[in-house]
Amino acid sequence: MTDLNAQMLAAHEANDLQKLVELYSLAAQSVKGVDATCFYLTHAYIFALELGDARAEALRAQLVTHGRETPDQSDLSAA
Amino acid sequence: MTQSDLNTVRRPIESANGLPNGHYTDPAVFAEERQAVLFDNWAGLGVAADVPTIGDAVPLTFLGMPLLMVRDRAGNVRVFQNICRHRGMILVDAPRKIEGAIRCPYHSWCYSTEGKLVSTPHVGGPGRNTADGIDRALLGLIEVRSHIWMDVVWINVSGTAASFEQANAELLARWAEFDKPLHHGGADSRFELAVNCNWKLAVENYCESYHLPWVHPGLNSYSRLEDHYHIEKAGHFSGQGTYVYRQLKGEDGKSFPDFDGLSDMWDTAAEYITVYPNVLLGVHRDHTFAIILVPEGHGRTVEHVHLYYSQPQTDPELRARNTAQWKEVFEEDIFVVEGMQRGRHAVGFDGGRFSPAMDGPTHMFHTWVATQLTRHRTPLAAE
Repeated sequence: MTDLNAQMLAAHEANDLQKLVELYSLAAQSVKGVDATCFYLTHAYIFALELGDARAEALRAQLVTHGRETPDQSDLSAA
Repeated sequence: MTQSDLNTVRRPIESANGLPNGHYTDPAVFAEERQAVLFDNWAGLGVAADVPTIGDAVPLTFLGMPLLMVRDRAGNVRVFQNICRHRGMILVDAPRKIEGAIRCPYHSWCYSTEGKLVSTPHVGGPGRNTADGIDRALLGLIEVRSHIWMDVVWINVSGTAASFEQANAELLARWAEFDKPLHHGGADSRFELAVNCNWKLAVENYCESYHLPWVHPGLNSYSRLEDHYHIEKAGHFSGQGTYVYRQLKGEDGKSFPDFDGLSDMWDTAAEYITVYPNVLLGVHRDHTFAIILVPEGHGRTVEHVHLYYSQPQTDPELRARNTAQWKEVFEEDIFVVEGMQRGRHAVGFDGGRFSPAMDGPTHMFHTWVATQLTRHRTPLAAE
């Protein structure tokens, strides 16, 4: 996680949104507990949304599964 | 604030005075006109050519208000208040392409280019993106009513004006022959002039042909004062036209291609009209232009000038000459509008008197401004 944190900081510094989606997705897999997982999933989802990245849909679906996103609200691709 | 007396402004031109000094020099009157004249009507904000492709977003400040002009995913130009519905943070601070969502840089609430609120991260606590009371359907970006015509993006901030088509029906009919695709000439066909005057002085100077032989002597060789005519539609627009428009020609004798389907009168005619309040338009057989006056205070205005052609591709050299020619003309007017602005600090100036023969379009604009202010001051009486 320490290395992941460093990579995240570097990606933030470079405003590399593609990388941020990837790294926050990895972080979500590396932590335990729904709250922590959804914290990182949320970040990955938001940066994917900003990018218009297709990964947003799957990330959002995970958040919906955990009850952390509204199931009835369409994502950006259908907004 | 002591309200200015507008009774003499609304008299017939033979006995009318122009707007009192305070309408050019008093910040309180400027604030009053901001609402009554500019927000309550269809004002020009920018041009659609500023956001040519889907996702293009340009932040603008109009009369102190932060706005965002966006081309949404359906290709429509929209204007929003450039603020997040969460904490009022500015969303976009420089022109850029929105690839997916507009993400607020503060807490990352995200909006679609249609203005819909699509995500509210951690709003219910860490990793919880929903919360009671946060109804996304009610928290989209605040959209400003807008309309595109002649590529100008017009906005009615108050939302109370008649539809653009209704409010400008007579002008749309007058210039119906130019209601066709206009192609912005690109980077060489746009420029800005910052002038130290109230925005209305730029309108007033543009409306009339009286000054042409004195301020633009270069026109005298082919376009005499008697070759011009007034254009006056009370309550809507005024300006001037010429019967002797002469096309610019390159060294090879070629000119810009004409707009299709124009009637014969446009072979030599050209018209220059102020669409009240702040847009100056010009039409010719082979090009049009739009000047959007953006007030930056009671004594400062930025004129945003854009030139358009009938075809997407035109001769760049000829285009550059056309831009330079118009720029020279508009620059010749600067000393006049700035001189009148300084003159408005003369205590005791009564707003001036008009030439009944030559100043009709300017008087008509003053009358319209006075009418807007009177309506604003006595809203119940206007209903």
